[in-house]
Amino acid sequence: MVEGLGDVLAKPPQPPSPAGISALRTGLDGAARAALAVGGWSHDEPLRLSKHLVTGLLRCPRRALSDDLGTGDDLVVGWVVDAAAKLATVSPRRHVTVDAAVAFLTALGDSTVAEHLADLGPAAERLTSDAAARIDRLAASLAGVDAGWGPRVEDPARVALAGGAVTVAGRIDILLGGPPTGRPGVIVEVKGGRWHDGMRADGHLYALMVALRDGEVPASAVTIVSDGTTHVEHIRPALLEHAAERLDEAMRVAARLAAGEPPAMLPGAHCGHCPVRPDCPVGRAWRPAGEAAGSAP
Amino acid sequence: MTASRGSRFRRVEGEAMGSGGGTDDLQLGSPEPIASGLPTPGHRTSDPVGTADRLRAETSRRIAEALAGAPSPGAVGDVYVGWVAARDAASCPARYRGEGERGWGFPGWSPPLAAGACGRAALAHHVAVDDRAGRPPTLPMPLDAIRIWMRALRTLGEPGDGGTPSVERSGVGEWICEVWDAGDSATLAAVAALAGRWVAGFVRVLGWPLPPRLTLLNAPGPAAVSALRWRPDKGSPVTVASGADARLGRVTGAGGFTLVVHRVTTGDDGALRDRAAFEAATAALAIGVVPGSVLVTAGDTGERVTVPVDDDLLVLGADRIVAVVAQRVVAVERGFDPTDATPSGACRHCDHLADCPPGQAWMRVAERWRGGLPVL
Repeated sequence: MVEGLGDVLAKPPQPPSPAGISALRTGLDGAARAALAVGGWSHDEPLRLSKHLVTGLLRCPRRALSDDLGTGDDLVVGWVVDAAAKLATVSPRRHVTVDAAVAFLTALGDSTVAEHLADLGPAAERLTSDAAARIDRLAASLAGVDAGWGPRVEDPARVALAGGAVTVAGRIDILLGGPPTGRPGVIVEVKGGRWHDGMRADGHLYALMVALRDGEVPASAVTIVSDGTTHVEHIRPALLEHAAERLDEAMRVAARLAAGEPPAMLPGAHCGHCPVRPDCPVGRAWRPAGEAAGSAP
Repeated sequence: MTASRGSRFRRVEGEAMGSGGGTDDLQLGSPEPIASGLPTPGHRTSDPVGTADRLRAETSRRIAEALAGAPSPGAVGDVYVGWVAARDAASCPARYRGEGERGWGFPGWSPPLAAGACGRAALAHHVAVDDRAGRPPTLPMPLDAIRIWMRALRTLGEPGDGGTPSVERSGVGEWICEVWDAGDSATLAAVAALAGRWVAGFVRVLGWPLPPRLTLLNAPGPAAVSALRWRPDKGSPVTVASGADARLGRVTGAGGFTLVVHRVTTGDDGALRDRAAFEAATAALAIGVVPGSVLVTAGDTGERVTVPVDDDLLVLGADRIVAVVAQRVVAVERGFDPTDATPSGACRHCDHLADCPPGQAWMRVAERWRGGLPVL
């Protein structure tokens, strides 16, 4: 049987001991200082890592360094779905619509989505229909969270390393439990697209950051995807160590890039929607498995 | 999602969000116990009342001197000195002067701006309800606490069961009622999300039950103390306002109390010592007693840093206050002027960049970098 958020909250697992958190921080701080020696950042001009950048640096440094990726329809649908999940958490008795989610975003001070939809005009209908279907699938997964879990949205977590010359920051979509509620922490990440295994890494990184922030390890990271997938991962020490290793490697890559080393171009499924693909010979040559390499798209 | 996309709101005086680098020259990273909240005796100012009196006199004199430089009495207009103004005037005087009346004044409530005020008010209401019921403190669930406070605001003046304390409608409370009456559920939800985040971070970092002898500041109701403000004299156009969130310990002539400044996030604000200095000086001016220390907390990092208050810190804080007044005086005849522009990351969002050679020079380098990495 597939486990969902409700199952986790009904019977949360015992979180790992916090005993290893201090060693993880010490190790990461050492790695950050080593990277700092190469990258040359400072407290005033730090390396600012996010979950997207950590993944990007490991997946394809060339793409990670590309300029603003703009506001495409896929991104906008993702933002609407993300906002809808947060609104459903803030107002659990309310039926969340696309309009309500967009109004919520605007009220939060982010008018990007509203402006994008207005620019599309009647063509926005297809996008909003798509978003509405995804929201309906998500809403069921988020229903019925007991108030005793103290739900909060966009909970900020930031880890400062090497005296602040390297920072890792993020906002957890939905955080349940954790200190001082007396219940184990449960991280909920909401994804607007389709499930893929790479999504797990975000939950691992946030579990690490929350552990470093709170001094307690969250019990679970739950990824709720708008294609109907719910992925539950109970946090084990090995997952935190894995997240720390990824962070360490991302800092090493960042240091080499900051020092002037040309970015590596690493092909993969991400090439399919990469904005720099036209200028990337490796990316142009890449084809999905089963498709013969041929002319550039 | 990031807040940088199409943000409609700017930070203004009184905002309780984000305020410190969190990792400047102070030793951080090891949260300390705050059961007492009292500073180390060795750090205390020996004469907290006398020192505050002297600070009031000296700051009044310096503000009067600064105002005397204006072309005419009244030319400066009202000057509100909060932390954000102090930070902005110190970080780039040219930009601060260039903001003009629109930038210096209060832009009206918005969910990001109201988060701290609503969070404090809701927490104060929660504490008052428990106090009134004579029960031990119950852990506030962030979103529930906000909702309950909002509902209490709505029932103000209606006959109740006598079991809940009265809710004072502060300025932000009046705004919430207006939003409610307008049926603007999106704004109410946004306030709940952001104010709930404030409550969650405050309670998580300070612990629950809250430390003994903690009193919320800048919040309405019987469980809190309203705004800490100071004016040099009755006729002065200058108001200095504290942004502290709470106080640990009672105010007595011996000093020894601690101010608590909670920052939801630490990423994009001034140095922690600067914030502590401003709040220490402002509180000394407003209360008439120098606090023993300032406890600066951060929701995103979980840090708690105690900054002892000494003469150097008070001087730094007073300098920040006077600098705001001085720049407002200069602004009467000289608004934005790049001669004293101080380029920084703020240049990315500065309205005066097109007229600012130092900012443009800084941006030519900065545009090739983002977050410590080259942009290709």
